Amino acid sequence: MGNRSIMLLTLVLVALAALAVPGESQSPIKIGVIEPLSGPVAASGNYVRMGAEIARDWLNAKGGIGGRKIDLLIEDNKSDPKEAASAAEKLIVRDKVPAIMGAWGSSMTLAAMPKLEEYGVPMVVETSSAASITKRGNPWIFRISPPSEMEALGLEQYVDKLGVKRVDFLAVNTDWGRGSIAAFGDMLKKKGAAVGVAEYMEQSATDMNAQLTKIKATGGDTLFLTTAVEQITLVMKQAQEQRLTRKVVTTGGSSSPTQLIKQAGAAAEGSYHIVFFMPWFPEAMPDGKLAKAFVDEWAKRGHPFEGLTEGFRGHDGIATIAEAIRVAGKDDPKAVQEALWKVSLMGVNGPIKFEKDGPAGKESGQSKPSIFVVQIRDGKVALPDFLAKK
Amino acid sequence: MTRVGGFFLAVGALTLPLWLQSPYHVHVAIMAGIFGVLAMSLNLLLGYTGQLSLGHAAFFGIGAYTSALLTLKLDWSFWPALAAAVALAGAAGLFIGRLALKLRGAYFVLVTISFAGVVSLVSINWIELTNGPLGLPGVPAPELGPWSLRTKTAYYYLVLAAVALSYVVCRRLVRSRIGRALVALRENEPLAESVGVDVTHYLVLATVVSAAMAGLGGSLYAHYTRFVSPEVFLFTYTVTMVIMVVAGGKGTLAGPLVGAVLFTVLPEALRAAASWQWQMLAYGLLLILLVFFLPRGIVPRLAAAFPGRR
Amino acid sequence: MAELLQHLLNGLVLGGTYALLGIGLTLIFGLMNVVNFAHGEFYTLGAYVSFAALALAGIDFFAALLVAIVAGAALGWLCEVTLLRPLRNESIDTTMLVMIGVWIAMQNAELLGWGGVAKSIPHPFPTAPLVFGPVAIAPVRLFALVLAAGLIAASWLTIQKTKLGRAMRATFQDRDTAALMGVGIGRIHAATFAFGSGLAAAAGALLGPIFLVYPSMGDLASLKAFSVVILGGLGNLPGATLGGLLLGIAEELGAGYISSGYRDAVGFVIIILVLLFRPSGLFARQERIA
Repeated sequence: MGNRSIMLLTLVLVALAALAVPGESQSPIKIGVIEPLSGPVAASGNYVRMGAEIARDWLNAKGGIGGRKIDLLIEDNKSDPKEAASAAEKLIVRDKVPAIMGAWGSSMTLAAMPKLEEYGVPMVVETSSAASITKRGNPWIFRISPPSEMEALGLEQYVDKLGVKRVDFLAVNTDWGRGSIAAFGDMLKKKGAAVGVAEYMEQSATDMNAQLTKIKATGGDTLFLTTAVEQITLVMKQAQEQRLTRKVVTTGGSSSPTQLIKQAGAAAEGSYHIVFFMPWFPEAMPDGKLAKAFVDEWAKRGHPFEGLTEGFRGHDGIATIAEAIRVAGKDDPKAVQEALWKVSLMGVNGPIKFEKDGPAGKESGQSKPSIFVVQIRDGKVALPDFLAKK
Repeated sequence: MTRVGGFFLAVGALTLPLWLQSPYHVHVAIMAGIFGVLAMSLNLLLGYTGQLSLGHAAFFGIGAYTSALLTLKLDWSFWPALAAAVALAGAAGLFIGRLALKLRGAYFVLVTISFAGVVSLVSINWIELTNGPLGLPGVPAPELGPWSLRTKTAYYYLVLAAVALSYVVCRRLVRSRIGRALVALRENEPLAESVGVDVTHYLVLATVVSAAMAGLGGSLYAHYTRFVSPEVFLFTYTVTMVIMVVAGGKGTLAGPLVGAVLFTVLPEALRAAASWQWQMLAYGLLLILLVFFLPRGIVPRLAAAFPGRR
Repeated sequence: MAELLQHLLNGLVLGGTYALLGIGLTLIFGLMNVVNFAHGEFYTLGAYVSFAALALAGIDFFAALLVAIVAGAALGWLCEVTLLRPLRNESIDTTMLVMIGVWIAMQNAELLGWGGVAKSIPHPFPTAPLVFGPVAIAPVRLFALVLAAGLIAASWLTIQKTKLGRAMRATFQDRDTAALMGVGIGRIHAATFAFGSGLAAAAGALLGPIFLVYPSMGDLASLKAFSVVILGGLGNLPGATLGGLLLGIAEELGAGYISSGYRDAVGFVIIILVLLFRPSGLFARQERIA
């Protein structure tokens, strides 16, 4: 019937018209945010978004930047590099943002990078850990999260105290997992430990029994685990079922120990975790007051506590961009990029200041974030036993 | 399509970058073009032979990786790399075609899914070749003689040329004896065989051309986005192609193109129109609605409304 | 040797759930000829309903399982009646497309409603594993295996012995004759889809406490289910059962002895090999798709 076709045509035209709708009014300062808000890591992406929103609201409560309010334009990259690039293009060209924060996963960030260079817009990288991001000679990249190598260096001082002699690795089969195995493997070998097997799991895998059976057979004393909290939960439960008894160290900061305790229970007892934020003892963070305020605000909004270990990244990313805009005096991408080299601020994780990283002449910015180790003891998160006497 | 209509369409397509407001719109047009090539390739199998390939992303990905690796690691120039991508994807199609010689229907589908699964896992795990999950950044932009085709406008014309080429290939194939044999295969295979049509031979041929075309799309994608990672083998790419073909109208020449344009523009329009929580839900619901109102696809419905030469 | 046995046991548990998913889909895909991409979403639905019943309404674990199955069957019935029945005369690709739409809509509705954070379903079983000589198995997994076996057996019996089962088989073998014999075709279609979806929901509710519940958990399940169905032969329940078990064991052994990264590849390669040498599946008797 003609009516139905007309309806459909109208739908199509409306869709096209929406594309043609002009951007927002010029008054607020717009900051782009690209995160995986759907798909397998939707939880993490949303935590980062929540942290970003807290930063925005705090800044706006203090009058914004130069009297102008901050507006966050949030895009979903659907855990797909193609979408990350499209989102970046849309934010830069249609919405004319002076800066972006994103894009969580390393391949998403890498996919968006050519757009940053094409249009000359800076991006603050809040989570991605691949070393190549800051080594590719892209002067529009500024990273506040640690690459795996930096993380490994952060653990180096504790390796002897941990008593690591024979190590096995189990990591998610992504750039993050593989990068982590390489970085920690190198560091541990330098400290004289022997590396056993390196096993992988697909990002959406739920059954790791085969890998655990292999690991059990090596007779090692420590297992380094790199993946997101959901898989860590499953690995721990299955390790318990297989009666695997050895030290477990998780890396990458996405282990959310609180959630682990809730969902893995006794299976998580005794495990060590490298984190970049300790919401259980905010006063121990470099800026205790800020950390505590962040934890309180997060709770006030009813966000789950376990999200804090990732949510702070969103806050620090937005705070960094905002500071750069303030220093630059205007929301122009080039000015913001130059200002990012000059900023020195205190985030929830600690001091943020960018150093040059990568090929000369086209360096990216890399900050040196603080790295912490915690342990799950007696069903609670505590400072690790080897640090107990302080 | 009448002659006049076709003429206006061609003029419109050729001058599109001039009256599009911003580079972002040109970006959307480029992606629509690339997916147009992909949708047309899938249509050759799905629409004309009736065999569903649910692993089509494998050919797309093989084309993308081949082109990227040759230009990145062996310093090939774009054009031979493109040819190699098309050839290699076509070879993969030949492999699948021969593998699935006697398989039809659901079994063919499963072989294609499994093939795509294996290729995807190889791309993730064979680090030395593909750099694994980290992907291949910095794929160079194509060059035509002294000019670099890096700018959006230039790339748009490259993609447009590919779309036109693919369309012509499909059209000639479909209207030739081969095309008729394919339709015979789809409609009534035993009968076709009984009159001496070498059905399997044509199915393999269709698979090779289809795969090669998808490889073309892959190469174009790689040099536009300048970044290739194992995500190109994601099932969602195949699903998107299927949506474009079936919603646009399978078994028609224009259907996949219409579907490609619609389903490239739609998610971007939703990005502008709805906040991120609702985008994909709206997409799913719109898809259901579309199927309900136009179960045969858009182009067949339009053709019925405007009778005349198709 | 102990390692091999452990791998086999793990594979059996995994395979049991694949079989459950496969049986549901073999009815829908094999008999009704619907390429149901949303099958995995009913699996996810079962898990979320079970979670809601347990954690929010405080119902007992076993009752929650029942609620999940009923919910899956009910939604399946609704889908068939509202979406598939009007499209019954369209091509298989059209119904496939509408189920793709359902898949996208359901998954994103779950994401919207529950958020992306994974949920954990509490269960009443002790966590300490049961040890049988050299192998160990968690009680909750044993329960899942046993219940899966029970549901599979019940399905076989229903299809083979009951009037409903006979009517189903008649309808899908020869619709017109069945209609002539007084079978309500519409009802049978709806019942079949509901049956298959209910089984998928059961699988979700059983696996939810073992793993975790999150919106995209059904994607892999769908794909595996399709493989199992085709391996076993379309519409062939014993085939789907055995196919599921085989796939689970093959994956476990592949991951254990070849490489964990290529784990899923083992399944795919086996499928390709099977189809090369036995195109109608492992267990079907020369079945040919029209």
